[in-house]
Parts: sequence; structure tokens; C-alpha cells
Amino acid sequence: MNNGRTQDAGLSPPITGNRLLSASRLPIKDIIVYLFIMAGIVWIILRGASEQGYNWQWYRIPQFLYTSKDGVFTLGPLLEGLKITLHITWISMILTYIIGLATALLRLSDSIIGRVVARVYLEIARNTPLIVQLFFIYFVVAPVLGIDRLFAAILALSLFEGAYASEVYRSGIVSLPKGQWEAAHSLGLTTFDTYRKVILPQAIRRVLPPLTSQTISLIKDSSLVSVIAVYEMTMQANAIVAETFLTFEIYFTIAGIYLVITVILSQFVALMERKFKVHN
Amino acid sequence: MAEKKLGDYIINVKNIYKTFPNGVKALCDFSTNIRRAEVVVVIGPSGSGKSTFLRCLNGLEDIDSGEIVFDGIPLDDNKKNRLQIRRDMGMVFQLFNLFPHLTVLQNVMLAQQLVRKSSTSLAKSVSMELLEKVGIDDKVDSFPSQLSGGQQQRVAIARALAMKPKVMLFDEATSALDPEMIGEVLDVMRTLAEEGMTMICVTHELGFAQEVSDWVIFMDEGKIVEGGTAEHFFNNPQEERTKLFLSQIL
Repeated sequence: MNNGRTQDAGLSPPITGNRLLSASRLPIKDIIVYLFIMAGIVWIILRGASEQGYNWQWYRIPQFLYTSKDGVFTLGPLLEGLKITLHITWISMILTYIIGLATALLRLSDSIIGRVVARVYLEIARNTPLIVQLFFIYFVVAPVLGIDRLFAAILALSLFEGAYASEVYRSGIVSLPKGQWEAAHSLGLTTFDTYRKVILPQAIRRVLPPLTSQTISLIKDSSLVSVIAVYEMTMQANAIVAETFLTFEIYFTIAGIYLVITVILSQFVALMERKFKVHN
Repeated sequence: MAEKKLGDYIINVKNIYKTFPNGVKALCDFSTNIRRAEVVVVIGPSGSGKSTFLRCLNGLEDIDSGEIVFDGIPLDDNKKNRLQIRRDMGMVFQLFNLFPHLTVLQNVMLAQQLVRKSSTSLAKSVSMELLEKVGIDDKVDSFPSQLSGGQQQRVAIARALAMKPKVMLFDEATSALDPEMIGEVLDVMRTLAEEGMTMICVTHELGFAQEVSDWVIFMDEGKIVEGGTAEHFFNNPQEERTKLFLSQIL
């Protein structure tokens, strides 16, 4: 007897639009719109370039990436710059995580001095532009401490990004249920052990996505250290453009390289997230 | 309950007051004394201060004035004292509070390794023994999220017992459980009581109170309204408020 119950009881999501498309699960409409927008952007760029009478010379780019003379493979200036960028980024990343965690713990600590110091640092680092902090550290702090240009760049980057990272850590820690603290307390764990074995393992897994964004910001912000003449990738690009006027080609190329790095990083973090999935 | 030999006083609570920052008076001139091996059940309407009392005992909440002495150690500002007291008191929470990122076995082993500095093998054997005792030995490598509420609570009890506490505090241990799981947790608690553990239980399980407790305290508005043996309490309550409360529940 058909009492209307043969339809599924409202368990599948409402089907909108063309039934055939939904069944095949291809967002055809979205893809078309996307391609249209991309075509529009490319067209605007090409038009702008041709209006300026720009002469595209992509064939000249590879020599800046690598040269292969007599079977000897040497990296061109852009990839040499990339090495420096990666070097800076890598060290700054570690420092950022350390400074961020230390600051978050200070902000959450019982000591008034600790909280005040953390707060002052955070307000300054987050309310001034990175470029200003870079200049300050390079022209004022570096001579006083006797540190070189590269380390000044790393220091400035780490302090800047560390402030943002610390808020990310803090939000992760604070988001844990109070019960975790209470259970650790009633078992007699010290605050240090509680953080080490109970709180941080959980908090860090929770904040991996925003921390990744943080790291990607770091990679991109590393390009700013070009203003204090550190020969990382952007600085190399500027130098090449000054000589050859290959503006569009060079900047598109390094934009592409930055993109590749950040995408690889995002995939790596996604892999780690899957591996350390929190059982909630 | 069969004749039980109770020990000397292990906890002395003298005139404690506690008011929360929002003005609520949780405890008002509250005093009581607990003996070794005694099973004390604290009952009362919500907001009466039962959980607050429990949490003041192991330092989760601070008292505004008064004295708490545990096995000769005063609960004061001395960090060492506070740590010592926390380690000798075990607590079981209404929401279990297991560590979700660790397996059942790791949950029970953690405090032993960090606090008692036990070796991994010793911690493991003690943990396995306790998990067997509470009936979870087949799920030692599971994560808490894979267990039912009753199972999680039993793991929580094992975890607290792993520290070999002198007193066990149960803060509404069965209130968050589905009815069919309450029994298995109460069974564990009953076994503990029979083995002579000093227990203070905040609970709504009056059947358990009647069967297992040596002393029942009825609290309302931060004060002890009436205290007595289970027999006295359920058969012959004196105070009006007690009678009212019991009539609403029983």
C-alpha cells in the first residue's frame, strides 16, 4: 500500500536546479563562471599591457631561473634569491612558533609582570606596519646589538608574526574545556606538566589551520625584507627588472613561485592534520 | 550496611565561607568532619553548594575564610601543601573529563608517570589492574570518544584511583549518564566503599545513598540543614526542609 512513505523521509538534501547536473555532482555552472572570470582578468591584463605598448619577452625569463653551460647546471639569480627566501622563512618560522607560544603562555600566566610584558609587546607588534618594524630593527636595534642584516630581517619578521601567532595559540588554549584543567589539577599535575601533556597537545591540533595561514603570511611577508636590501627573491626580481625592464614577466614568475611554495606548504599541513586527527 | 569500623578524622572543615564574584553565597559557615573509610553522601537541591564544597576540598575553588585540614595538612597558601592534598585526593567529575588525545590506558598512566614518577612498566601494570577492576580491560587502547558514557566514567574512576588517593570525591558522577549505564558505575563505587575507601559523593542516587553511605548530609543554601546516618535520614528526618526535599524526590 502506497501511503507516501516510499519517498525518502526528507533525509537527502533538497535538490535545486537541474536534476541531471546534481546527480552527476559536477558544479558545471560554477566552473563556467570561474573560467569566465579568469578569462576576463587575463584579457584586462593583456589589454593593459598592449595599451602601454608592452612587448612580452617570456623567452628571456629562463636564464634568470637557471643556466646550463657545458653541462654545468647553475641556478639563476631568481632561484638563488629563492634559496635565501626559504632560508629566512624557515628560521623565522621556528622563531615565530617559539615567540608566539611563549607570549601566549605569558599572557595566560599568573604573574602580573608577565601579562603586562606580553600585552605591551603584542600591542606594539600588531599595531605598527611590518615595514616600519623592519626599518626600526635594522637601523636602530641591529647596530646596538651588533647583528647583521640577515639576522635583523629574521628577527623583525619573527617578532611581527610571533605576535599574531601568539593570539592563535591563546585562542586554542582558551577554547579547551575547563574540565581538562580541573582533571589535571585533581590528579596533582603541575601547571608545566598540564600544559605539556594535556593542554598543548590538544590546543595545537585545534589551531593548525590558522597557524598555517600564519605561516603562509610569513612566507609572503618575507618579500618585504627586500627593503633593507636582503637579496632574497623579491630583491633579486627588483634588481633584474631595473636592468631589463621585464616587469610583467619577472613579477608574474616570482608570484608563481611564491604560489607554488605556499600551496606545497598547505598540502603538507593538510597531511599532518589528517595524521594527528583529534578524536573529539 | 554491615558494621564498619571507621577510622580517625581525615578531613576537618571548620566554618568555611565562600561567595562567588557574582555575589552568590555558595557556602555559609559550613563545618563537617570526615572519618577514614567513611562514605559520606551529600544531597540537596541544585545551587545548595554541594559541588562547591567538594571543589573547595581539593583546591579547585578557594574559600574566603575558614579552615580545611586534610590528614594533618592545612589547605592554605603553601604551594607544597596544596599539591600534596591534590595528589592524595582523587576526583571524579560529572562530565568525566578524560583526556581525548590519549588512549584509555594512557589516561590512567599519565599521572602516575608525571607525578609519582613511576616507570612505564609499573604504571602500565597498575593501570591494567585498575582497568580490569572497573571492567574496561578490553578497551585499553581505545580513545575516550569511542567509549560509552558509563565506560568513560569507569575509566575516569580508574584514572583517579591510579594515584592511590586517601579520599575519593565524586561530583555527581552518574548525573550525565543514561539510566542503563548508571548501574555499572554505582557498582564500581559500591565495591570501592566495601574495600574501605573514604568517599564523599555528591549524588542524586538516593538508593545508593541508602545502601552504601555511613553518613548523609543534606545541604541547602550553603548550609548543612541536617546530617545523619542513612537510616535516620530516610526513615526519620527531623527538619522541615529535609522532609520537603525527600518528599519531592522519593
